[in-house]
Amino acid sequence: MMADIREDMAHTVLSVRYEILKHMRRTRLLIALSLAIVLPVLFYIIPRVANVSFASTADGFMSNILGFGSFLIIISAALFAGDAVSGEFESKTALLTLSTPQRRTSIFIGKYLAAMLAVFTIVTLYYLVGVFEVIGIYGVSKVPIVTMRSYLLALLYATAVLSLTYFFSSIIKGTMASTLLSFFGLIMILPIVSSLMMVAKVEPWFIVTYSAGLITNVFLQPGFGGGGGGGGGGPPDAFTSYSPQFTTGVEVMAAYAIVFFIIAIVLSVRRDAE
Amino acid sequence: MTGYAIETKGLTKRYKGGILALKDLDLQIGHGTCVGFLGPNGAGKTTTIKVLTNLIAPTSGEAYINGVDVVRDPKEALRQVDSLVEVPGMPDYLSPHEMLSYFGKVRGMSTDAIHARITEVLATVKLSDWEHKKIGSFSTGMTRRLAIAKALLHDPDILIMDEPVIGLDPKGMRDIRDIIKGKVKDGKTIFLSSHLLGEVAETCTEVILLERGQVVGKGTVAELTSKALARSIDVTFRHPLADADLARVRGIDLVKGVDPLGDRVRLAFDGSPDSGAAILSQLVSMGLGVTSFTPQAATLEDVYVSVMGDERGVN
Repeated sequence: MMADIREDMAHTVLSVRYEILKHMRRTRLLIALSLAIVLPVLFYIIPRVANVSFASTADGFMSNILGFGSFLIIISAALFAGDAVSGEFESKTALLTLSTPQRRTSIFIGKYLAAMLAVFTIVTLYYLVGVFEVIGIYGVSKVPIVTMRSYLLALLYATAVLSLTYFFSSIIKGTMASTLLSFFGLIMILPIVSSLMMVAKVEPWFIVTYSAGLITNVFLQPGFGGGGGGGGGGPPDAFTSYSPQFTTGVEVMAAYAIVFFIIAIVLSVRRDAE
Repeated sequence: MTGYAIETKGLTKRYKGGILALKDLDLQIGHGTCVGFLGPNGAGKTTTIKVLTNLIAPTSGEAYINGVDVVRDPKEALRQVDSLVEVPGMPDYLSPHEMLSYFGKVRGMSTDAIHARITEVLATVKLSDWEHKKIGSFSTGMTRRLAIAKALLHDPDILIMDEPVIGLDPKGMRDIRDIIKGKVKDGKTIFLSSHLLGEVAETCTEVILLERGQVVGKGTVAELTSKALARSIDVTFRHPLADADLARVRGIDLVKGVDPLGDRVRLAFDGSPDSGAAILSQLVSMGLGVTSFTPQAATLEDVYVSVMGDERGVN
């Protein structure tokens, strides 16, 4: 039994290694790494070129940069997990890998972990560039303490997005379709649904892209995480904006991460290599 | 545990859309045999192989390799098996060395053993010069050879191969045939499906004929060909036949095909002795100067055609 578990873990590690090698040899990792560096650097360069001042506080500066963090996470997830499962079957490499004496769970968990490693690297690099810019502009002592909390929330959001993307990859046959559904689903469809719900004065607390707001909300001072309901005053039919509550947002992201991961693995394992 | 290398019991597979690919298929493949798996397109050969290699799940029934249930414990069942199924995709970002290293590690081979076997199998399939080149630059034939190298890497006791020579040139086909013959001599079990009846006749000792998901014939090649009717006759004439005479021969009702072969003409017919006699009688009455009339021994193709009807193999 122990030998069996050790063997399964070895197979999972092997799957991670070769999947990481695939990402490194294709241009996707280069694209994502470039975005992780260029995007925050633009927030430094543009004000310089336009001869305008930076945000008055380091918190404001970081909040501005990290406003695009969720987009980078979605792009990275689509790049590394969008075709992780569908690609194996579409390209028929599954005919080689699945007919070996290893559990399918080892293969597919390995692919998921490799995608997670890649996305976490992108997110980490994005935050590091932002922090270095804060140090350069405002000084070391001005680096917001809540940056670490924002970073951890970003990693949690990345895991949730990855699980959802992996789920799409496990149910959709074509790689293009699964990647595009993941991308547009998270960039456009879910945010639109959130907005429509808010117009109907319903808080979209269960939509994962709504929870992504926590990543930048940590920089709000004070009363971070005050969340739900409220917009300002005004006439009763004024648009009501909502803000995710910390606990609820974390729970929603964790739920997406776990539930969609489990469903994706179950479906991947049961899929026929026709 | 059973004494068979490969066994299926009541194997059934119904695909989405209701297509019944396999229907209560019972197979028994003994250890150390080379069995050819023949059948027309859509007969269920690849489906059977995919169930045996854990690529698809059966709708019902059981499949065993070395007595281990493939569906319940595929990891154990596939330990002593390697396979080549359809035309698999290749990881184009890897070199053959890297790809084969992956499969060696999956099988728990040591690093030294992996390196040694990679050198051996790539030499066997004539890809030594390409060991460290990216697979993405390979031709179809080269990727096929690499897939065969992967199947041979850990020297499995059981080889399951689906159309192994597809995409290879004649020399490549001969090389693979020699490899398979070598494995048979080593006492390995080979289960291979093919449309190339000549290849199967030359490499396999036993044949299973499949049609519409069910076995319609099985036995050794010798048994099956001895029972089958010979479907061709070689006829020699006093003088080579002119085109007009060939056309007259083609016009004989019972003659299905006429194939001039230099000093003789090969006639295809339904194989029945009465038809043979009738054709001889008509040739003589045409005054063509028949000097010999020799029915050919039944070939595997004759067996195939007599069992399958109008479906024919590629050869």
